[in-house]
Amino acid sequence: MKIRVLDIIPQTMADGPGFRTAIYCAGCSHKCPGCHNPQSWSFQAGEWLDVEELLEIIKADEMSNVTFSGGDPFFQVEGFTELARRIKEETDKTIWCWTGFTIEQIEASPRLAKMLPYLDVLVDGPFILSQRDTDLQFRGSANQRILYLHSAPPVDYIPGTVQTAYAYV
Amino acid sequence: MVKSVLKRDGRRVDFNNQKIVAAILKAMNVTDGGEDIVLAAQIAQAISELDKDVMTVEEIQEVVENHLMNSPRQEVAKEYIRYRNKRNIARKAKSNEIFETIIQAQSNDITRENANMNADTPAGMMMKFASEATKSYVDECLLSDPVREAVAGNYIHIHDKDYYPTKSLTCIQHPLDLILEHGLKAGHGESRPAKRIETASVLACISMETVQNEMHGGQAIPAFDFYLAPFVRKTYEEEIDKLSELANEDYSELKSADIDDYLKHELTGLQGKERARQHAINQTVGRVHQAMEAFVHNMNTIHSRGGNQVVFSSINYGTDTSAEGRCIIREILNTTYEGVGNGSTAIFPIQIWKKKRGVSYLPEDPNYDLYKFACKVSARRFFPNFLNLDASYNQDDAWKADDPKRYEHEVATMGCRTRVYGNKFGPKTSIGRGNLSFTTINIVKLAIEAANESPDKEKRIQVFFQKLDWALDIAARQLNERFDFQKTALKKQFPLLMAGLWLGSEKLDDEDSIESVINQGTLSIGFIGLAECLIALVGKHHGESEEAQDLGLRIVSHMAEKINGYAETYQHNFTFLATPAEGLSGKFTKRDKKTFGVLPGITDKDYYTNSSHVPVYYKCTPEHKAKIEGPYHKYENAGHIFYVEVDGDATHNPEAIMRIVDLMDKYDIGYGSVNHNRNRCMDCGYENAEKDLRECPHCHGHHIDTLQRITGYLVGTTERWNAGKLAELKDRVVHE
Repeated sequence: MKIRVLDIIPQTMADGPGFRTAIYCAGCSHKCPGCHNPQSWSFQAGEWLDVEELLEIIKADEMSNVTFSGGDPFFQVEGFTELARRIKEETDKTIWCWTGFTIEQIEASPRLAKMLPYLDVLVDGPFILSQRDTDLQFRGSANQRILYLHSAPPVDYIPGTVQTAYAYV
Repeated sequence: MVKSVLKRDGRRVDFNNQKIVAAILKAMNVTDGGEDIVLAAQIAQAISELDKDVMTVEEIQEVVENHLMNSPRQEVAKEYIRYRNKRNIARKAKSNEIFETIIQAQSNDITRENANMNADTPAGMMMKFASEATKSYVDECLLSDPVREAVAGNYIHIHDKDYYPTKSLTCIQHPLDLILEHGLKAGHGESRPAKRIETASVLACISMETVQNEMHGGQAIPAFDFYLAPFVRKTYEEEIDKLSELANEDYSELKSADIDDYLKHELTGLQGKERARQHAINQTVGRVHQAMEAFVHNMNTIHSRGGNQVVFSSINYGTDTSAEGRCIIREILNTTYEGVGNGSTAIFPIQIWKKKRGVSYLPEDPNYDLYKFACKVSARRFFPNFLNLDASYNQDDAWKADDPKRYEHEVATMGCRTRVYGNKFGPKTSIGRGNLSFTTINIVKLAIEAANESPDKEKRIQVFFQKLDWALDIAARQLNERFDFQKTALKKQFPLLMAGLWLGSEKLDDEDSIESVINQGTLSIGFIGLAECLIALVGKHHGESEEAQDLGLRIVSHMAEKINGYAETYQHNFTFLATPAEGLSGKFTKRDKKTFGVLPGITDKDYYTNSSHVPVYYKCTPEHKAKIEGPYHKYENAGHIFYVEVDGDATHNPEAIMRIVDLMDKYDIGYGSVNHNRNRCMDCGYENAEKDLRECPHCHGHHIDTLQRITGYLVGTTERWNAGKLAELKDRVVHE
């Protein structure tokens, strides 16, 4: 199984909590106006990489969890589901996945929903320029949501300390 | 026979008859008598035959004048003297020019040498005048010939040279318990021992502010939590007494009550003693918070040095697990997170989290909650930095978990990175000790010279090591000479520092010299530009080539070994520094560029890379950076620092800060911190991390202040940065 990959960013601190190996895939049909990454829209961009190769890269980094982004990973749902399943089976890494679909749309499609059991967090929804807010944690516009799929969002209250703007997630 | 001439700038050149002849002929030419080549040659010859090896330019001119005065051509002597005076005036005019740039509050590398100092205020100007004037005095009167030549040749840099004549020492870690338990005498004031947290925190300020004026470097508190903890308890007890009086009840037994943690709670539902106890705790937490706020505010506003510089202050904390110590830690962190005034990031003190397994790092550790909060605070406010007590070279077998004074066996650091720990002449501790002086070697120049001398790589490296040994010898000699000068100072010149704060100083009498105690301090040899040095020697820096990394480690371990040897030779605590090089960042480079031209990867920038760091322009993962830089830290026992540039908004990702500390743990890194961008709108207080933000997205104001870190210290506006540092900032890339 192969995935068309635009870029792999090792140990990024901008795509989810902690350090993450971010797999940026090629291809996105949402084409949101104001997208910060329009070069990723083309399905011909980047190169084919085997799930096996990607898994090696992810495993080699002891400190990093995993991020799927793009592009939209759900346009290559078979490949990413395979990769996500292998990550969950063979490592204890968490997976954060960004998509332009909403979770409702994904759940309504048996084909797309196949990936959900393997993802820890889904950051959903298209980028809507009129709702752009650069202060949002890991999101571009206010309609987008950070959804914990299999657990409650972590509570991060440290007794006696002032409330911070962003929690450990 | 005169073999060489010592020029005014300290350079030594070969003696040359012809130069003397030419100068005499010049004077003859403007007289009616015209040239007399024979007389000129005779005078030059006579000088060359004097029974001296070296002569200064001034000495030669004196002799020429005397010869001319005793010759038939006295009118030539007059011309010669006139020309000489004219040159002297011109030279003086140059220093006047420097004074004028200070007067006109111009922004240049002289007035911006120190990013934390405001050289535009009258007091700041006064200090700058003094500083510029003493530097030439030091060159001419205090340095030995080989040292002066090495400085003039751009091989070594003497730090804080302007303070050299004052015999001042660099810095100290304050044993604050002495001040708090015994009070202090400073200026016209005398204070009794502290009884409550407010007084204790003010005394901490006064101690640092007073001693700052007796030294030329930073002031630090090595165990902020341990020292202040007893006063949290005293404050609580005071609150209990107040309540007893108010309620006309005897609550005194509550004074010895066990308190797990000082946390505020609602009083609703609580009665009697329980209510009194919780009320006293609530009041105590409030007062500790206020005291911490006052401390931070004081450290940022009182320009106690010469009226133009706040203290270069640092505080170390994190390992006190008592309820009272935790209260101090929590409230200093809360204060720091909230910011000063309207919520601005506090520039001082530099805060340092002491990370120790079993105490303040792992999820099961008693201070893990506060460690997590410290990472959040650092993500927003750049501080605290992280000191790794678990690094192999930072451990001490004398540390015992149940020892109330265990902090004496914990390494502490100055915020800028200066580390004093090992001790050949007394106890191994950071407390009551500090650095005496620093000198930095320009290893880039040595490498360029070696490369120019030999095209063959092996030979070139061999030549480099020879040159390095020469430079190390000179630096050690220089530090030793400065020590010999410093030790003649009397105790009374340092009224508070030597009143017991400095280790062993309590036993000195006022008229005693400080010689017997300053061997507790360190003499440190530093270096900058390992990256450029390696490019000159093997074509690549250590971040990009294994060969370069191997050579880098060979160079640095060799330096460490030599420096340890000086400790034996000179019988002082010689240590090895990864130089911060704030004022130095561009100085070496500028001169080397002039000498060697623009060499790709070496002199093609306006700065040399900090010590053994991977160049700021080199893009790599944080882990790669840690893996490359980590192995150097154990050699650099006078201090080192590891930086990671965070991509994105660090406040969105406090967990990333924890991962960076994990890197320090994994790669035996001693001290580290996180750099990121933090903009603040001065009009509405909005903050974000966007690069090059010009307009506030909320109120559309244009008063944007962007915080950056410079050699460990935070600087708001970059207006006070010198050219070298500005160029380095521009090249910084994030690590991902």
